[in-house]
Amino acid sequence: MKKLNLCLSAALLAIILIAPSSLLASGKALRVAIIAPSAKNDLAFTQSIVDGIKAIQKDREIELAITDGTFVVEDAAAAIRDYAKKGYDLVLAHGSQYGGSLKEIAPDFPNTSFAWGTSADTFGLANVSSYEAASDEGGYVMGVMAAAMSKKGGVGVVGPIEVGDAKLYVDGFVKGAKAQNAKIRAKVNYIGSFSDVALAAEAARAHMAAGADVLTGTAQMVVGAIGAARAKRVAWFGTQANQTELAPEIVVASQVYKWEVILRKIIADMDAGIKGGKKYEINLANNGIVIEFNDAYKLDAAVKEAGMKAMAGIKDGSIQSGASH
Amino acid sequence: MSSQLNETPMLQMKGITKRFPGVLASDNVDFDVRAGEVHTLLGENGAGKSTLMKILYGLYQQDEGEILLNGKVINLTSPANAISHGIGMIHQHFMLVPTLTVAENVSLGLKSTRGVLTDLKTVSKRITEISKSFGLQVYPDEYVWQLSVGERQRVEIIKALYRDASILILDEPTAVLTPSEVDDIFVIFRKLADAGRGLVFISHKLKEVLDLSDRITVLRHGRVTGETTPAQSDRHDLARLMVGRAVKLAPDKPEVATGDALLRIEDLYVAGDRGRHAVQGLTMEVKSGEVLGIAGISGNGQRELAEAIAGLRTPQSGKITINGHDTTFCKPGQVRDVGLSYVPEERMKDGAVGDFDVKENLILLNHNREPFCTNGFLNFSAIRAHSEKLVKEYAVKTPSIDTCTKNLSGGNIQKLIMARELDANPKVLLASQPTRGVDIGAAEYIHERISQQRQNGTASIVISEDLDEVMALSDRIAVMFDGKIMGIVKQEDATRESIGLMMTGEDQEA
Amino acid sequence: MSDSFAVMIIVATIASGIRLATPFLLASLGEALGQRSGVLNLGVDGVMLLGAFGAYYAVLQTSNLYLGLLVGIGLGLLIGLFYAFITLNLHAEQGVSGIGIYLFGLGMSDLLFQKLVGTPRPILPFMPLEIPVLSGFPIVGEMLFQHSIIVYIAFALVPIMSFVLHRTTYGLNVRAIGENPEAADSLGVSVMFTRYSAIIIGNGLAGLAGAALAIELGIFQQNLTNAMGFIAIALVYFGAWSPKGVMIGSLVFGLVQSIVLQCKTFGVIPRSASDLASMAPAIITILALVVVAKRFKQPSALTKPYVRGG
Repeated sequence: MKKLNLCLSAALLAIILIAPSSLLASGKALRVAIIAPSAKNDLAFTQSIVDGIKAIQKDREIELAITDGTFVVEDAAAAIRDYAKKGYDLVLAHGSQYGGSLKEIAPDFPNTSFAWGTSADTFGLANVSSYEAASDEGGYVMGVMAAAMSKKGGVGVVGPIEVGDAKLYVDGFVKGAKAQNAKIRAKVNYIGSFSDVALAAEAARAHMAAGADVLTGTAQMVVGAIGAARAKRVAWFGTQANQTELAPEIVVASQVYKWEVILRKIIADMDAGIKGGKKYEINLANNGIVIEFNDAYKLDAAVKEAGMKAMAGIKDGSIQSGASH
Repeated sequence: MSSQLNETPMLQMKGITKRFPGVLASDNVDFDVRAGEVHTLLGENGAGKSTLMKILYGLYQQDEGEILLNGKVINLTSPANAISHGIGMIHQHFMLVPTLTVAENVSLGLKSTRGVLTDLKTVSKRITEISKSFGLQVYPDEYVWQLSVGERQRVEIIKALYRDASILILDEPTAVLTPSEVDDIFVIFRKLADAGRGLVFISHKLKEVLDLSDRITVLRHGRVTGETTPAQSDRHDLARLMVGRAVKLAPDKPEVATGDALLRIEDLYVAGDRGRHAVQGLTMEVKSGEVLGIAGISGNGQRELAEAIAGLRTPQSGKITINGHDTTFCKPGQVRDVGLSYVPEERMKDGAVGDFDVKENLILLNHNREPFCTNGFLNFSAIRAHSEKLVKEYAVKTPSIDTCTKNLSGGNIQKLIMARELDANPKVLLASQPTRGVDIGAAEYIHERISQQRQNGTASIVISEDLDEVMALSDRIAVMFDGKIMGIVKQEDATRESIGLMMTGEDQEA
Repeated sequence: MSDSFAVMIIVATIASGIRLATPFLLASLGEALGQRSGVLNLGVDGVMLLGAFGAYYAVLQTSNLYLGLLVGIGLGLLIGLFYAFITLNLHAEQGVSGIGIYLFGLGMSDLLFQKLVGTPRPILPFMPLEIPVLSGFPIVGEMLFQHSIIVYIAFALVPIMSFVLHRTTYGLNVRAIGENPEAADSLGVSVMFTRYSAIIIGNGLAGLAGAALAIELGIFQQNLTNAMGFIAIALVYFGAWSPKGVMIGSLVFGLVQSIVLQCKTFGVIPRSASDLASMAPAIITILALVVVAKRFKQPSALTKPYVRGG
């Protein structure tokens, strides 16, 4: 069943057709569907939610269906409606661009729980929950470390479009860098696309040409930026998932989302009869956000120390990591 | 019949039969060409001339029969194959690439002496040689789009000669030429025949056929209906062989007293599609009871003039008066209301709706008026009665008035349009290319009808590229060139030569 | 900002524009060839994606970058053969079937990636190939002569393609058939052979464009091309079907992208106008299309199937 999750809609159809029979066999398995904009193994945003459910699957029987790669919102809306119709218990619309569709669809299926993110808006609907990641917190911590390790006094950020999770992360990173070194040149480049890998690569090169020696970036097109950084052996901080595999030589650390922290809460609430209407957040304090270091990268102890201090400060509330927090 | 019976023909087509779904395009046709002669294939549209020649050029394969070249059976499977047998074709629609130069066009498909590289220098040199020896002036480096129609035709001929064609098929080669260009090209054709080539001349223009041919074979409905020579026959004989009955080639024109000018055009300027003036300061008038013919090569402003008169194209300046009303800036419907009937050049585009049936096309102008329409509802019994009457009166050959118009022949569609337009009892009739692509029988009928308008007191304008048509129909003939009237002459004073000169822009006085 | 720093940034921006232009150039050269022969292929992006994945996978397995390029080209040729068959033999409507090729390439490349690779793993791209002597020149050297070999290949193809189109009998046949296939056929030039070959070579170049992209980026992921193939088609119109024209078009597009990027990096474009500025390359291309391309006529026989005597 789990092996069937292909990105092609033909395969999705197969899942839908086979699903009912396997449900009968498995009895009380919770049925969860994920709709996400990029590939389920993108080492970024989409993979993080899939990994979250998979972590829960270790101790609870969950029947999981995934429709990934739906960067076209209309396709995603069709999939959301389809899963709701098929009687899935929880439908996760994993993309802030899906909110509008969900607002229309959810009222038609009052018995289905919907959750979407990243956002803080439940539209006042009783069966819609929202979730978000305090990605500014990890961003802040890594910004501190980036500024601490930069020799040229310049750090660069490659972003997609200035909205949602990306904006939170980028703002946190810049704030952290400036907190560590007020004179740091922290340049941000929103390239205007979530998917233009080639442009992301050139954005990274532009940062390097302008004197940045530590880079970071967010969204799925950053694989291009990581490649460009790797060619010049420029340090990289990752986010949304552990990006060490993409460039073991240069990835210092990654902010990793442990969505299972809030997914467990959502499922527990569902068990208690609460279908939605609540807002959830992962952050450093609830261990929904963790910083995973690349052991292969020789990081200066003082730099790591500064990062750890910042993390402790955020957790105890003495440091404000983002503009909105 | 011929004086050269003892000679073996260069090329013989024996018992050629070709079927298309539902049509017998060529029915057991025998045809041959001898060295040094021009053998004409005469017939109406759809008589099977083109099919026969496409078989000879390898574009189609015959179902039955055989083709012999110098006594040996050959199998023509493609144009390349035909070319290699020394058969060349001058196509009616020029087979030229406008974006390429003359030399590039000629060298297409030839084996280059430089392997994969083109050898335009060698080609240009030979083009110049051929052009000199036959008086076919062309410049190898010019782009084809820059050339006049006559020049393009010369390129076509050079293309064939370059490939050492011993048999030349000339498919309606004069269709787009001016009378003087026709004279020039006929001299060249004769020269080519005298040099030992065999020419097949395809045409439906009787005068030209009689001028150029050594022998004439007439086709009708895919069958040979006669073989003759210019010495043995005249235009009437040929027309009879083509149509299958006696044909009147010019309508009767009884004397009619002309009245007031019903159409007056003063200093008219009209823009063409590309913005420049297509009609430049044109002034003329047409009186009640007369037919004014407008001769000229297409593209000299005739279409724009017709559209301006019909209200389809807004003039830039000047004045058009129809039946005493200023219609310069009127819409088509308003122009019709003051008495204009218009038979447009493109009959299937502007004249009739192909997907409508016959009765719908017949009421197209009055479908929203009594008696065909009452309070917004169509009155079918009135429509049917009216349509039946018109179809009968104008001899439109159609299975029924419910037949889809596009299934009719060109001649019958034109008769249908004439029926609709003339039924409106126009004050002014404007007919553009009224018999283009129409068979002789229908053309005869349409000419008769236009001629009758004189008695009705209508002022008629006939715009035509066909000089014979203009000469046959008109009381006065105006010649249009470059958006201007080069001169207006009375029919009885007009000669083909004087009109032909004006068509090329020579002033009447010059 | 010191002068030398400014010069360095300008050099970096131009070099960046050239890199960005390269995949567009390869793809639009291929599309231009096909269109010159009278066949429109809207599936360029799909072909690029398959070429990109094929090249990426081959390099992942063998670490041989040249093999990767060959695999990319090979996949392009193969799809070209298929596209030629459906458009030339089956007379499929070219607009629609091209979109079919695109969707096939988009889905198939991702499916193969998921099945054969799964989690993205990086490959090592080509190192910049410094052209001896030339690369040593100040400014110009760094700008033009310190690129990866693919960049040189792409730009070398421009004069080669011009030469083929204008100096060889094959090129003459292509140009003639794109305008008036009847004329070419009536002189014994094979319309089928010419169009088949032009489509196959054109798609091979699209495959190469994809391969170049994946290898330059050192990675593959879903929809890696991000609709570059469609831009490439627009650039063919921009470039008025001439190799030099599409080169200029690609460079303009790439340079506008890199200039916008550089301006954002230095904050010349305020953050608030950032998204708007991202549209600049597309907007400039459209404007240029309207202004420039209006003066040129597309090949007359474009998208029209040829049937002898028909």
